[in-house]
Amino acid sequence: MAEYLGVRVEVASNDPEHREFLEAAGRGQFVVQRCPECQKLRYPIGSACPFCQSLGYEWAEVSGRGTIYSYEVVHHGIHPSFRPITPYPVVLVELDEQRGVPGPADGLRVLGLLVDAEGRPEDEERTGIGARVQVEFADLGDGLGLPRFRLADEPPEGEVWRYPD
Amino acid sequence: MPGLRDQYAIVGIGATEFSRDSGRTTRALGVEAVRAAMLDAGLGAGDVDGMLSYHGNDSTSSPTIAGDLGIRLNFYMDCSGGGSSTEALIGLAMGAIEVGMCQTVVIFRAMNGYTEARIGGTGRQAPVFRGGSLDAAIHGMHSAGQSFAPSFMRHMYEYGTTSEQVAHVKVAHSKHASNNPRAFYPQRVTVEDVVNSRWITKPLHLLDCCVETDNGVAIIVTSADRARDLRHKPAYIMGVAGRVNKEQPGGYHWTRGPISRVAGHYAAPIVFGQAGVGPEDIEVTGSYDAFTFTTMLQLEAYGFCKEGEGGDYVSSGIIELGGARPNNTHGGHLCEGYTHGIGHVVESVRQLRGQADDYCPNWEQGEHTYDYSEHGCRQVRDVEITMNLGWASPPTGSALIMHN
Ligand SMILES: [Zn+2]
Repeated sequence: MAEYLGVRVEVASNDPEHREFLEAAGRGQFVVQRCPECQKLRYPIGSACPFCQSLGYEWAEVSGRGTIYSYEVVHHGIHPSFRPITPYPVVLVELDEQRGVPGPADGLRVLGLLVDAEGRPEDEERTGIGARVQVEFADLGDGLGLPRFRLADEPPEGEVWRYPD
Repeated sequence: MPGLRDQYAIVGIGATEFSRDSGRTTRALGVEAVRAAMLDAGLGAGDVDGMLSYHGNDSTSSPTIAGDLGIRLNFYMDCSGGGSSTEALIGLAMGAIEVGMCQTVVIFRAMNGYTEARIGGTGRQAPVFRGGSLDAAIHGMHSAGQSFAPSFMRHMYEYGTTSEQVAHVKVAHSKHASNNPRAFYPQRVTVEDVVNSRWITKPLHLLDCCVETDNGVAIIVTSADRARDLRHKPAYIMGVAGRVNKEQPGGYHWTRGPISRVAGHYAAPIVFGQAGVGPEDIEVTGSYDAFTFTTMLQLEAYGFCKEGEGGDYVSSGIIELGGARPNNTHGGHLCEGYTHGIGHVVESVRQLRGQADDYCPNWEQGEHTYDYSEHGCRQVRDVEITMNLGWASPPTGSALIMHN
């Protein structure tokens, strides 16, 4: 049985897209859907291409590298499984692939927990917009994984901005 | 719709008390609110034949409420939804009346928002991640505040907006609430109170977040022809926009920027176009305040200030009673109580009638002191045009413009 932070993770039998996504993460691959018609990538999982309405898709592995586009630091945990790990940073990562598509303010932006090398929530002092990150995978068991992010060992894009305390 | 300007009006308003211990069902709350709105309008059970409500599987359906009050409905619909529903349903009520499905429509929201179904869902999470929760909840995002916060943080990054600036929204609404005898939080607060309150999710402090309450609120919409014979001066509907979206591929608006721009950007031309007025003509705003930031982002999106200048706008005094364009003169969700937006529309109606129920002894006769100090007046002088900015989320909003 797959679980995350002690909570069961289920994928419905009629939801192969989410199963295949989590299975790829279980193999250490971060995949997103690619439209076979217009070749554009999309995230999160959707039942059609929002750019050309094609119903088809194929999985495309992305580098999992990107830049923090925005973030928050959750102090008041709501879900019981997340309360013990507060405060934790949730980051919105703009992946390196397909930036500025279809418009200059658009991109493949992915939510994830920002964790340190031990998989614990990253320190807030090290979290900020502009910081470079790379994907890593939490093991959910049962062959499934979950993409999360950790800080990459590379210079930030511009100066890192963080909430001015 | 442009041809319907001034053809419909809100003629009745009603509300229960705002509490955190109603000790009653949403059925009882809904019935009391609807009954109060009917009495306010001077309408009997036989005069109401339409009903609309919105809910999050946390309320009581229209036929039950109507049945309790002896109302036979020719039209009803109970929609799934929270904030931004009120304005949308006003537009749907007009449409239903216009095509002849019914003649007079009550819209209500009844919720035990504190004692039963809390907005953040505290304690109600499924003990399993599946389906859509695999896109956001599993990454640690579980409440409205948590899902809106990236938009708020990005605004601070892009424009240098500060917590102190945004705290002025709470400060203003708390001043207004101090002149509202029904407000759940009538205490005035300072910027320091807000920024020194504990973190909920950075950049939101506790006092940046609204107050969940138990309450029922109702309004009544009918045609201008019928409105003229009723008890109060009608609040005429000039324009309405309902549940306008930003692009949100896969239900995930963050992939399409700018993410600090909210749906009002798209609702503005619809609602101002119908009304034939612009932001400069609006005298009182009711900008949904689930959070302080929410109010600010909407005021920007509708053009009350330039994009990026919301921090300056909300901290300038403009949005306070006595300022050029007060916002949420009842105290809003931050202070009066949480109604999923319908309380904001009720307040606009009060302002247009000149009957804000403040501490002025003869407010019911429209006599006000216009002294906005604590426990004083909250009526804006000579209001002619109000606007409501309804919010569900950064990518979904609604709007309503009315005049008297
Ligand atoms: Zn395509």
